[in-house]
Amino acid sequence: MGQEYAIEMVNITKRFPGIIANDNITLQLRKSEIHALLGENGAGKSTLMSVLFGLYQAEEGVIKKDGKEVSINNPNDANDLGIGMVHQHFKLVQCFTVLEIIILGVETTSGGVLQMDEARAKVMALSEKYGLQVDPDAKIEDITVGMQQRTEILKMLYRDNEILIFDEPTAVLTPQEIDELMVIMKNLAAEGKSILFISHKLNEIMEVADRVSVLRRGKYIGTVEVKNTTKEELSRMMVGRDVQMVVEKEPSKPGDTILKVENMTVASKLHSNNAVKNVSFEVREGEIVCIAGIDGNGQTEMVYGLAGFEPLVEGKIILCGEDITKASIRHRSTHGMSHIPEDRHKHGLVLDYPLEYNMVLQRYFEPEFTAKSGFLKKKDIRGYSERLEAEHDVRSGQGPITIARSMSGGNQQKAIIAREVDREHKLLIAVQPTRGLDVGAIEGVHRHLIEERDNGRAVLLVSLELEEVMNVPDRILVMYEGELVGELDPKKTTVEELGLYMAGAKRNLSVDANTSEIEESEVVDNTREGKEEAK
Amino acid sequence: MLLLVQYTIIFASVLCLVALGGCFSEHSGVINLGLDGIMVMGALGGAVTMFLLPAEASGVVIVLATTFAAILVGVIYSCLLAVASINFKADQTLIGTAMNLLATAVATVFVRAMNTSLNPDNVSSSIQYIHEKKAFLKYVGKFEFNWFMLMAVVLLVLSYFILYKTKFGLRLQACGENPQAADSVGINVYAMRWAGVLISGFLGGLGGIVYITAGVSEWKFEMGVAGFGFLALAVMIFGQWRPTKIALAALLFGMFRALSNVYTGIGFLAALHMPSTVYNMLPYIISLIVLAFTSKNSRAPKAEGIPYDKGMR
Amino acid sequence: MNERVEKKNILKNPSFQAILTSLVCIVFGLFIGYIVLLIINPAGAGEAIKTILLNFLSRSSSAAQMKALGNTLAKTAPLLMCALSICFCYKVGLFNIGAAGQYEAGACFGLYAALAWNMPWYVCLLIAALAGAVVGAISGALKAYRNVNEVISGIMLNWIMLYLTNMMLSKKEVKDPASPYTLKLSSANADGLIPTAGLNELFSNNKTVTLAIPLAVLFAVLIWVILSKTKFGYELKATGYNKEAAMYSGMKEKQNIIVTLAIGGALAGIGAAFLFLTGYQEWSTTQTSVPGMGFNGIAATFLGGLHPIGTIFASFFIQSITDGGALINKSIYPSQISDLISSIIIYLCGFVLFFKFALNNWIDRSAKREKAKAKDPEPAKAAEGGDK
Repeated sequence: MGQEYAIEMVNITKRFPGIIANDNITLQLRKSEIHALLGENGAGKSTLMSVLFGLYQAEEGVIKKDGKEVSINNPNDANDLGIGMVHQHFKLVQCFTVLEIIILGVETTSGGVLQMDEARAKVMALSEKYGLQVDPDAKIEDITVGMQQRTEILKMLYRDNEILIFDEPTAVLTPQEIDELMVIMKNLAAEGKSILFISHKLNEIMEVADRVSVLRRGKYIGTVEVKNTTKEELSRMMVGRDVQMVVEKEPSKPGDTILKVENMTVASKLHSNNAVKNVSFEVREGEIVCIAGIDGNGQTEMVYGLAGFEPLVEGKIILCGEDITKASIRHRSTHGMSHIPEDRHKHGLVLDYPLEYNMVLQRYFEPEFTAKSGFLKKKDIRGYSERLEAEHDVRSGQGPITIARSMSGGNQQKAIIAREVDREHKLLIAVQPTRGLDVGAIEGVHRHLIEERDNGRAVLLVSLELEEVMNVPDRILVMYEGELVGELDPKKTTVEELGLYMAGAKRNLSVDANTSEIEESEVVDNTREGKEEAK
Repeated sequence: MLLLVQYTIIFASVLCLVALGGCFSEHSGVINLGLDGIMVMGALGGAVTMFLLPAEASGVVIVLATTFAAILVGVIYSCLLAVASINFKADQTLIGTAMNLLATAVATVFVRAMNTSLNPDNVSSSIQYIHEKKAFLKYVGKFEFNWFMLMAVVLLVLSYFILYKTKFGLRLQACGENPQAADSVGINVYAMRWAGVLISGFLGGLGGIVYITAGVSEWKFEMGVAGFGFLALAVMIFGQWRPTKIALAALLFGMFRALSNVYTGIGFLAALHMPSTVYNMLPYIISLIVLAFTSKNSRAPKAEGIPYDKGMR
Repeated sequence: MNERVEKKNILKNPSFQAILTSLVCIVFGLFIGYIVLLIINPAGAGEAIKTILLNFLSRSSSAAQMKALGNTLAKTAPLLMCALSICFCYKVGLFNIGAAGQYEAGACFGLYAALAWNMPWYVCLLIAALAGAVVGAISGALKAYRNVNEVISGIMLNWIMLYLTNMMLSKKEVKDPASPYTLKLSSANADGLIPTAGLNELFSNNKTVTLAIPLAVLFAVLIWVILSKTKFGYELKATGYNKEAAMYSGMKEKQNIIVTLAIGGALAGIGAAFLFLTGYQEWSTTQTSVPGMGFNGIAATFLGGLHPIGTIFASFFIQSITDGGALINKSIYPSQISDLISSIIIYLCGFVLFFKFALNNWIDRSAKREKAKAKDPEPAKAAEGGDK
């Protein structure tokens, strides 16, 4: 039986300190099949692929190619074994031509001089054979994301790779480009290439894959034939588990509308599409609204738009009756908006500042902490920091003077939450507030969010964690590819149903009539910006 | 007028060589602010060689030995930049500045020590090479042709060829634009960056000796190379990191530099009564203006100045 | 989640680390300098390196010692100002290599005001500060609005200002017709001289010892206070440490960049005034290279551990070995040997960040190993590493 597999990863275990990222996982890729690897964020897909590509070494388990055991210590080894990968973020050189980037590293030369004609002939032949339409002389920076991806695929084919890994390849593509990619992948498989397709989009998997292996929380759940399964079953395999904790809370008593978002559209930094498309919703006082969805579906950009980091392409934001669409970041934060940012190291903290300075990051300019003369009131800052530390159980080596960098992730997050909930606010935006925290800390954060709600604040929670989505909020809005596709009541819905919405297989919120119109006009507008960002 | 052309060409040769050096270094991803210092060291190597060569040495020997020495010293000196910025990830601005200061100090100490050891009364930091310099010159009518002019043209063509037509050039540029991408296809980023810096040492060192033999036959090393390395940096930026444009920029800036020497001999310019400092200043002002208008979509290598860390891929 | 109070590790103390690394750089620099001296002439090398180190102390009489110390101090003041300029900007994440050009601007307009308009010294000082600030602000504006790297614009402005200064100070109302130098301030406009306030008498009546010296030290303290005690310093440092977090907190990043470089420019401009308004020397209108003061300031900044107070000592040290170099036996050794030593020290400073990084990494790792032994690994960290 071993002979029919192009590559086998047998009983792979990869540990990181404190966590088993891959726990005894077996993945067998048949020759010329499309094999999908399905799992939530943090399920261990990327780690497994990194092991296959030689970026990590597994503690246990073996990798076999054509039945023979091989060792892969770096990407070059993987390359030599015919394993190629289209990374989620393309490895391209903006000012090179398509042809140049394809041959880079495996150039045909004669006495050191590039023989471009030979390379061109080979690339054109491959391009024709697999239907990968590219312009070999165009500069990478001038071509569409779709063509950039085709270039990446040609890069693998040019190297005669037999095993092709696609890491979330559709995330950056337009629907039309996705359709093209599906055809290309089928062509490749038909020509004898074996394909590993990493995705969490059920529709795509159902359309293109032959078999699918599912990972959950680092464990191997199973491999099924796509033709013998349903989306529902896959969704259950991906997320299905007993709800592990129940958050105790009273029913919500929503009051006035605090945040009102109308037709918000935000451009993307990664690709030419808008990341947030025509999103409208409301958050009222005394309720927790959760934006659920799989990572990269526009949640980050939506929050950037709300917080004022990014300008809106279209739409309106109203906070406590005031139009803040064009207001500065400082204005928003002093007029009722608290924000627990997604990336606490990037935005949330000045890591090289002591804890006490971080505690006043949003308030240092207030008379309470800065005297009229411009001097910081260090005693008051110290006292304030000490109070917050005590009230929120923030633990650190040296108290207020501890450098934030040296604190544990959990305590860093507690400090940010303390800072954001203690100051005056009507709306709390909490983006993945429990990311990277242990169970005890997660409970604490959830308790805080509910306390906030019960104190009459409006809470907007953005979460990728299904348990959190099911337990904490009073309303769920599901975001998929930049749009709100569903509104669910956490008490009435099931994890399976939620999974279908998150994977784009179901929707109950219709697209506004004007959405498509807006989209069309903006795709053109944003091409340039998208390109700039891509650099 | 002939004098203007002659000065323009020789100064342009210097600027072109050194700017190409910077171009190689930056295309590999290392900002070379130490070009000025590399020029000083190249000049030192060349000048000392001319000084030490026996008076009866033939012209060919003088030209070859001097050129070789300048290049060798330039390459060795550039290792200081390579090791610090590539292997130790040091701040490239700081290292470049240190190299500029160090070069002038080393050259002065060396020449003075050499002069004093030969003649205890001679505490100057100058080297004379009146006789040797003649080996580089050939008169075509009244035009003073310098072999270095030819060398500059040859190296310009060669640089263009290497950067755009060879495997090496392709890989070098990949390292300066996106080292992670280069690494992912098996290119040794550290090695390519070393190569880029060493080539800048080669061209910078050569540029140094051309500069000090351009108009004079004696050089006082206390004054370094009077900031010509920085002017070359301006040429490189004005030339948008491309050999062809660098050549044109070098001609333009070389002309300004030449004008500051000879403008009094040119009727209408002399009549303008502009001090020579204006001609000296113009290249920098032009560069700054160009930068202000092009920096948002500059052609500078994207990854220049960022140390590459293999662990970060 | 229990974080034990970490053991006090002296190696981890940042001040100790800064002093340690600076000393290592100095020792290395001196060692290489000594070897060069040995190569040139082994006989007097020991004596020469001693002279460089002792500087004024190597003078015979105590009166001569004080006079020489006065000279060193008079030149330390401008160097310190340049170092403060670079240090201040570096704290905000900007490499002010343009300090040299800002210094030139200060010299140009400070001297012009003193010689052509016969302004009193304090007005000249303000004009010098303003001129430096304008040049700094140009770099800042180019960076904030046109995305021009401050290092490149700084280098260009260094040369533009050099030639502009040469041009301005060549005018007949300020230049000595018989030499390339500007007029002597003491005879042309004695009011333009920074007052000595009796300080000269402490240094064997060395007239170049003026208020500039205590003022420069005062500026160092002022910069330290601004950076560490005020709201303004809080914002600037936050911008320097983490631009994204500064944006999140609603600080105005672009404005901060321009203000920072303008202040840096003012400091460097005042530095020039502190040299040329003491009558220590005149501006040479034929000079063809950017004055080394701005670049030596980089040395003093890094040697001073990027701390305003540290730069006071580092500036004095650099100036002292430079002056000491001038005292060695010139018939055997070139005086630029001290330039050689100080430039080697700057070069070595490039490795300081790496050295500190490696040292801290080593301490952290050994601390973590201890921690790991003491308790269960932290799940928080691990989950982050899980799916990256």
